[in-house]
Amino acid sequence: MLSAQERAHIAQVWDLIAGHEASFGAELLLRLFTVYPSTKVYFRHLGDQPDEVQLLSHGQRMLQAVGVAVQYMDNLHAVLSPLADLHAQVLRVDPTNFPLVIQCFQVVLAAHLQGEYTVEMQAAWDKFLTGVAVVLTEKYR
Amino acid sequence: MVHFTTEEKAAVASLWAKVNVEVVGGESLARLLIVYPWTQRFFDSFGNLCSESAIMGNPKVKAHGSKVLNSFGNAIKHMDDLKGTFADLSELHCDKLHVDPENFRLLGNMILIVLATHFSKEFTPQMQAAWQKLTNAVANALAHKYH
Repeated sequence: MLSAQERAHIAQVWDLIAGHEASFGAELLLRLFTVYPSTKVYFRHLGDQPDEVQLLSHGQRMLQAVGVAVQYMDNLHAVLSPLADLHAQVLRVDPTNFPLVIQCFQVVLAAHLQGEYTVEMQAAWDKFLTGVAVVLTEKYR
Repeated sequence: MVHFTTEEKAAVASLWAKVNVEVVGGESLARLLIVYPWTQRFFDSFGNLCSESAIMGNPKVKAHGSKVLNSFGNAIKHMDDLKGTFADLSELHCDKLHVDPENFRLLGNMILIVLATHFSKEFTPQMQAAWQKLTNAVANALAHKYH
């Protein structure tokens, strides 16, 4: 499903994130909660106004999972299966929220990479993250 | 009706003053056509759209993107009456152009990503929120006259 070029773009961008999962993840969550406040309902355990420590901690966890997905992008079903179970049975995040996370992810990448965030990278990451979202929701029913 | 706070209006206006409409508009439309290739269905008359570089360099894409983003400039002057401001364009997009309103939301998202590449840290979460609210409101206004 992902072409060789798309995989290369995905890996190339991930190399820039690797090691900074916490700060990228925290920024992703902060943007998500600011732009789409309704998404906070899924993060009640972080409190009404999550502080920096909480955002960094939870953001790191989310981005580390993305890193795993990047490493195993040919086998997302197997590698994301536990997270798919979690989302289906425990978190039950409405599927309409995943495009919101993806949009914020794109803005984070764009803001950091600026002119270097080519349309090819954007397209590859959009396709990749959409694929991750599909796997995370595939056990919903 | 959408209500924009004073802070949101100020945020939008402050960034808008620095936006190169031709560049951002052209790039936003080009990215839409590349990231979501099915959107090319509305642009058969635009000539060569067969590769990423063809689309990014296509003068008709740039011109149309610029035109679309200029209409945002108009929106920013009339943020309290977007439905009225876009009434004619809404009818045009429904009756003549037959564009699925989902495309307006997708283009709005592209504009935000391009703004982020240009403005980087200045494109704060609050700035993003104000602009997302604007693009969503414009998309809704454009869809308002559909029947």
